Amino acid sequence: MRILAIDTSGLVGAVAIADGDIILAQFSIQYKTTHSEILMPMLDDMCRKVHLDLSTIDAIAVAKGPGSFTGLRIGAATAKGLALALDKPIIPVPTVDGIAYNLYGNEKVICPMMDARRNQVYTGLYTFVPKMPEGKSMERSFDMQIIHGQYAASLDDIIGEINSLGKAVILLGDGVPVYHDVLEKNLKVPYSIAPIHQNRQSAASVAALAAKMAGEGQLVSADEFAPDYLRMSQAEREAKEGSGEKKNAPGKSELKSPGIIRVRPMTAEDIDDAAALEKLNLGKEAWSRKQLLDAMTRDDTIYLVAEKAGRIVGLCGVQNISGDGEITNVSVAGDCRKEGVGYKMVKQLLERGHGLGIENYTLEVRGANAPAIRLYEKLGFKSEGVRPGFYEEPKDDAVIYWKRN
Amino acid sequence: MEINKNVEDDGVIFMSIKDKDQAECVKNTKENNGGDVTILAIESSCDETAAAVVRNGREVLSNIISSQIALHTIYGGVVPEIASRKHVEKMNGCIRAALSEAGLTLDDIDAVAVTYGPGLVGALLVGVSAAKAIAFAKNKPLIGVHHIEGHISANFIESKELEPPFVCLVVSGGHSHLVVVKDYGEYEIIGQTRDDAAGEAFDKVARAIGLGYPGGPKIDKAAREGNPDAFTFPQAKIGDAEYDFSFSGLKSSVLNYINQAKMQGQELDQCDVAASFQKAVVEVLASHAIKACKEYGYDKLAIAGGVASNTALRELLEKECKKNKISFFRPSPVLCTDNAAMIGAAAYFEYQKGVRFGLDMNAVPNLPLGDRERRYHANKN
Repeated sequence: MRILAIDTSGLVGAVAIADGDIILAQFSIQYKTTHSEILMPMLDDMCRKVHLDLSTIDAIAVAKGPGSFTGLRIGAATAKGLALALDKPIIPVPTVDGIAYNLYGNEKVICPMMDARRNQVYTGLYTFVPKMPEGKSMERSFDMQIIHGQYAASLDDIIGEINSLGKAVILLGDGVPVYHDVLEKNLKVPYSIAPIHQNRQSAASVAALAAKMAGEGQLVSADEFAPDYLRMSQAEREAKEGSGEKKNAPGKSELKSPGIIRVRPMTAEDIDDAAALEKLNLGKEAWSRKQLLDAMTRDDTIYLVAEKAGRIVGLCGVQNISGDGEITNVSVAGDCRKEGVGYKMVKQLLERGHGLGIENYTLEVRGANAPAIRLYEKLGFKSEGVRPGFYEEPKDDAVIYWKRN
Repeated sequence: MEINKNVEDDGVIFMSIKDKDQAECVKNTKENNGGDVTILAIESSCDETAAAVVRNGREVLSNIISSQIALHTIYGGVVPEIASRKHVEKMNGCIRAALSEAGLTLDDIDAVAVTYGPGLVGALLVGVSAAKAIAFAKNKPLIGVHHIEGHISANFIESKELEPPFVCLVVSGGHSHLVVVKDYGEYEIIGQTRDDAAGEAFDKVARAIGLGYPGGPKIDKAAREGNPDAFTFPQAKIGDAEYDFSFSGLKSSVLNYINQAKMQGQELDQCDVAASFQKAVVEVLASHAIKACKEYGYDKLAIAGGVASNTALRELLEKECKKNKISFFRPSPVLCTDNAAMIGAAAYFEYQKGVRFGLDMNAVPNLPLGDRERRYHANKN
């Protein structure tokens, strides 16, 4: 069986051709050039060097994910285009399984870790189990046993799992150098790190594992194949979080611990407290209960509250107007100012806003409101203009602030 | 023009666009192959996955569009990551449909063309990767096309008699350009926006008055019910560059008006705001375009891009062109949206000039229009 294999899931861009018992060719590059520029020329070059007639390929194997979203798509779109043109099936190889397959025959626990940012890794736990032959032969073959199939895990989770297995582990993948200090501090079992020639994605491993998968009938058509990202897009994730009220409910311990300020999405149950806070701070200009409820339930807004000892002490909100985030409200209870409530709250608002597709933020503030102006400037906002006499009671100018990216 | 629509399980709308000439073209496909150039074109720069087969730059043999617009509406705009993911899922289906409707296989194709910029980089990369893989596997020439040059070339499909030179007003969600098309594939930009694109202003104002996304068609519709003279919004003039546009001031002025009305508890007439805003945009666009034709001495004006399907803009330009004895060309609305037929049209003229791209072609999200650096044109010969 002839398999053309592609892996562009991480920093390594790699292609290989497996032809029955041998790897006919494999090219691999880990350099700063983009997969988009390198992948096809590399494939072209490889095929020329072995005088490959593309029509003799039986299937196209590709690392299906997880990995860099863009990298996965370059690999997937390329594999699908090739499979369409050559009328061949695709063998989708789980990326982490492919990396583990670098260490074929190793009976230790194998834990690949791909850096997924924010203290997360794409990982899994594997080991190889020898199959005893019948008769007297000394030859052994191995089955890859999946202890925990590939998943997106927090560093704490995977370290906990490794420790609970209580066995020596081999680590590999681009997440290992990134989180080495944390691993060193928290792993309670002997660990080693795979040598550089086995440590990263390998198209040859993808091809070898794909050959095995093909034997088990794990082939899909070119049209139906799509990468397995293991993560929703940020926008989908936040849309889901926004609607899941229960998930955001505070834990009991947090309610009881005084002094801790917790920022979370506003829910319908907060509306009365939030409206009261608005009224207290802004008087006539305050938003009504209904206005807040309307604004909060729109799909182009984010509303957050700050909670301290079970009490709503702050609220803020932003509306996305085609990429410009208009910060409509920022309010902090009088007795909780100078505690960083505003900073914590607005900072989170800006971060969450990116998920809504907001690139630039704008707001208006009373010219006389020095503490608020200090807060916005600390958060990177810059004054871009004034609307003279915009506010009433007392009369004041509105200063227009922008934070542009 | 006939559009067959099919809404798929995930909300994506699959469309096959056929015009009356198409059946005739397809019928003649096989017999008429001497000297003809048939191009498979792919487009994925934003939220539409599209594939088409075009012959000799003007005959559309098939035109397939898979539109994700319904998926992005809930987010109030296109989410790049979601768009890119959908492109991967839909691409093969679109290409297959385009080939089968044209009655051809990849072996009958002379070249593969693809939009390589400008646009969302993650979205562009899907089309670029697919096109490169197909060109490589079938050993066909590869041609990268500028998205806006594609929009301009939609006019060659619509108006078979149109030939350069002419002036083209390009207006879309990301672009507002006044371009002189000197020859096939030769463009000179004489004016462009200093800030927001016209379509961007449409989207933002639509959002602010509660019409939602996508703004262009929604404002167009609301404006028909409103009074265009209800308010006077400013039309910015750029002192040192008479053909440039600025829509940011206009947009802010509309947003300020809305905010003030809200603060004072006034009832807002959506339709009046929409009509007055639209009038301000359309008048600036039209006056610049007509002025350019007169001063540069061209008697042909074409429009292109998503905003080119705006009714008020079409009507005003038609009237002004008639008055000034300028022939007016405009693609039908379905050719104004993102599609691959227009990419196939633009690619044909590049193909004729001998332009061939290498397999190192990359997506260029901010690719400039016209006289750009030709370093991506690695000639295979």
